Amino acid sequence: MPLITPQPRGPGKKKGGSSRRNENNRIYANPLPLIFSAEENRFWTSHTVLGLFGLSGSRVVNPHCEGIFDPYTRSVWVTDSVHSTILWRRGFFGKGTLSRSEPTWLARQINARQNAEKNMVSEQVTANRRAERKQFKLDRARAIAQAAEAAEAAFKEGRVLTVEETGVVIPSAATWKPSRPPPSSSPDQPTSAAVEDQKVDEDIPDNVEHLQLTLQEAFFLLWTLDCLSVIDPDTHAAMSLEEIWQTLQLIHFPLYPSLASDVTNTRFDNPFLINYVVYHHYRSLGWIVRNGIKFCVDYLLYKRGPVFHHAEFALVVCPVYEDEEDRQTCPFDLQNVDPFSWTWLSTVNRVNSQVQKTLVLTYVTIPARSRCQAALLASPACLQYFSIREIVLRRFIPARMRD
Amino acid sequence: MDDLLEQPNKLPNFPLSTEDARDEDQSSDEEDGGLDWTKLPSASVNIARPVIPKRGEKDYEPKAGGGSGLQLHVLDRARTAMFNTLRATRGVNNKSMSYAIWYPQLARAHVTVAKGIHFSSMGHSVQRPIADADVKLQKRLELLPEEALYLLERGALWCWQDTNEGSWPINMSDIDARGPPMSVQQAYACMIGKEDLTLEEYQVFAYLKRLGYVVTRAEAPSLSYPVHPPLTKVKFQKSFSQTFFTLWSAVVRKFFRLFSGINWWKPFRIHHYTNYSSLFESLRFVPSGHTTPLQVRTTRNLDSSSPRSPYHIFYHLYKPSTPFRKTAPPNPDFYVVVVNARSSLMPSLRELAALYDKLPETPSPLPRQRQAPTTSQNAPAAPSALAEQHPISIFQRISRLIFPPKAPSIPLPPSRKPHPFAALKAGKKMVVIAAVDSGNISFFRFGQGAFDEWPMI
Repeated sequence: MPLITPQPRGPGKKKGGSSRRNENNRIYANPLPLIFSAEENRFWTSHTVLGLFGLSGSRVVNPHCEGIFDPYTRSVWVTDSVHSTILWRRGFFGKGTLSRSEPTWLARQINARQNAEKNMVSEQVTANRRAERKQFKLDRARAIAQAAEAAEAAFKEGRVLTVEETGVVIPSAATWKPSRPPPSSSPDQPTSAAVEDQKVDEDIPDNVEHLQLTLQEAFFLLWTLDCLSVIDPDTHAAMSLEEIWQTLQLIHFPLYPSLASDVTNTRFDNPFLINYVVYHHYRSLGWIVRNGIKFCVDYLLYKRGPVFHHAEFALVVCPVYEDEEDRQTCPFDLQNVDPFSWTWLSTVNRVNSQVQKTLVLTYVTIPARSRCQAALLASPACLQYFSIREIVLRRFIPARMRD
Repeated sequence: MDDLLEQPNKLPNFPLSTEDARDEDQSSDEEDGGLDWTKLPSASVNIARPVIPKRGEKDYEPKAGGGSGLQLHVLDRARTAMFNTLRATRGVNNKSMSYAIWYPQLARAHVTVAKGIHFSSMGHSVQRPIADADVKLQKRLELLPEEALYLLERGALWCWQDTNEGSWPINMSDIDARGPPMSVQQAYACMIGKEDLTLEEYQVFAYLKRLGYVVTRAEAPSLSYPVHPPLTKVKFQKSFSQTFFTLWSAVVRKFFRLFSGINWWKPFRIHHYTNYSSLFESLRFVPSGHTTPLQVRTTRNLDSSSPRSPYHIFYHLYKPSTPFRKTAPPNPDFYVVVVNARSSLMPSLRELAALYDKLPETPSPLPRQRQAPTTSQNAPAAPSALAEQHPISIFQRISRLIFPPKAPSIPLPPSRKPHPFAALKAGKKMVVIAAVDSGNISFFRFGQGAFDEWPMI
């Protein structure tokens, strides 16, 4: 628990915190890559009138990003750093392949070469906090050992002392402050950084990192917002929407890519469809949806984004077959179709309540094949036949619910 | 317990830093750690009623290399204190004892002498025929098996096994002639398994009773068992403007679908929208929420040979602060399902849906800013909602139709809207499931999520 509470900062740094918050509000102001441009406010009235007839002009600024489809990692790679910055800053899409989430590899390299203490990226902030925390634990253990020694000495003289009576002050997390700057933290920081100080400019490496979009993220950007084009890795041509729709489903079959795309290979229990329905639903409700593998769940829901708040909810996707018979022919390894055991539920819930997240089981019903024809799967129209229900899980502690 | 205390790190010793104390506050159960027996005053050891001691602090670690005189000393002291406490004989006060007779055929304990406050929330009166007069019925106080077992185990009840069926009223003078009362072991053997009571259900009952809750059966085991009045389905009246708005938007949407003939390759016409919230709203096409018809085929339920689902509401739970009248129980604060964690999996969506069907909607949580609520905390939103439903004249009604009130149904200032996270976490309906794993009870609350009603943008 103390690991996730922000470290207490001095008054000087507090000011920095609020200015950083303003900065974040500015950088991450847009929840989607699309921007509704404000400059045309002068024509507001005329546009409203036109809007009523569905004729509003080009008020939406669309960044039109580009990504390469990678079948082996089942992801879409955005290699252009301008595009990846846009996708990260406007809606927190994707993950840097060499970073925790935001692609910061290049910034870390530059920081390391300049030995800079400011402009720290999130990985470095975390590493510093952990180093401080480790130092605090060492200090505390030392103080406790000292107190025990004093008590032991007093015991030999025939007195039994409590820790207060020994006079040793044991540091507490609320008041402890690092006495000296914590040892430099970044693991990939070269030790000879100071030497290279002069030739920083020549030394900046090429950015070898790219932004990796999950298939759900890519399809959301592509289909609903039309701000991404996906390039086929073999032909280097942009894939058509139909082609992508087919490929994203086929890729989950065990025999891909030798599989032919025909109607018999389309199924409502395709993992891509199930995950996409969930991803789309919570995105459409305004949540920032990110992967939750770190906490033993499928997705995490952030209110405005990871730079503003910790994730509030942790989603486990539980597919439910409308018709149990469809399950017998399922070629996929679908997770969580059977209910959890109580042990597993406790395990997942313990992990998530430890980090102050509320566990949510998201049940997605898979349309029965008897009800919906397979032909529906040829287009995204099939998505409206799924349905989503949530169960919010928390421990109930009777001793604390009495009043 | 003995084994626990023999481990050196369980020693009660130094209180650690405040941070550790805070961590311990947040650890869930008081019973998690061992007890600090040294906290017992030595005088209390021999008194009739042993006091349950409080838990002490753990030592940070055993001294390196062993052989700390102080640690050994503290360990010995703690162990002696424990043995002394356990040595005390358990006694009861003769004046506070109740008397009962257990009828195995009826699965009820007939209370002949009722003493103490337990009977304000336990036991129910039943009319039974008297032996010598065939027609005449007389009321008597009876306990369910779990209630009798709980009182007996607590040392508040002496219970005799019935020897000659049906002869009552009993002459109190011949109680001594019945021999010794049932032992706790005997009571466990006789009463578990009666009236659908499993061991798990008794363990949950006893745990909640010890915490001061009032626990009643959800399904009346007999006609004379008092149950709370059937739930009146409170339909939340939507205001006229709201209804109109939903209808209108539905019509508009239908209209657009009809004439634009939705192209599923390009369903969202981005250029129609002027801001993010309208764009997000247009993306919400996936059916969601628990009111969506659940089209799951119930193949298993049709098969009559399959065992009954373990998921049914077994107990009604009332907080200690809820005013409770035994003859007219109010609506419960919580609904409890008890299952064996080893033999059952978590409930499936279908089982949960069946549970929620029987439950009322819980009022949405209070906004966080409000301090010192004046109403009782149990049903915070209910009183204000009821107060609003006073009769209104026809003129008022008409004027409301024409000029819909700004704040629908409940006139709340905007600042008192509940926090969306609190509302999301509480859910619309809530059932508590107690999973009992060989005596260890973990309670989970299963809230019916309503994320679709609280969009973030």
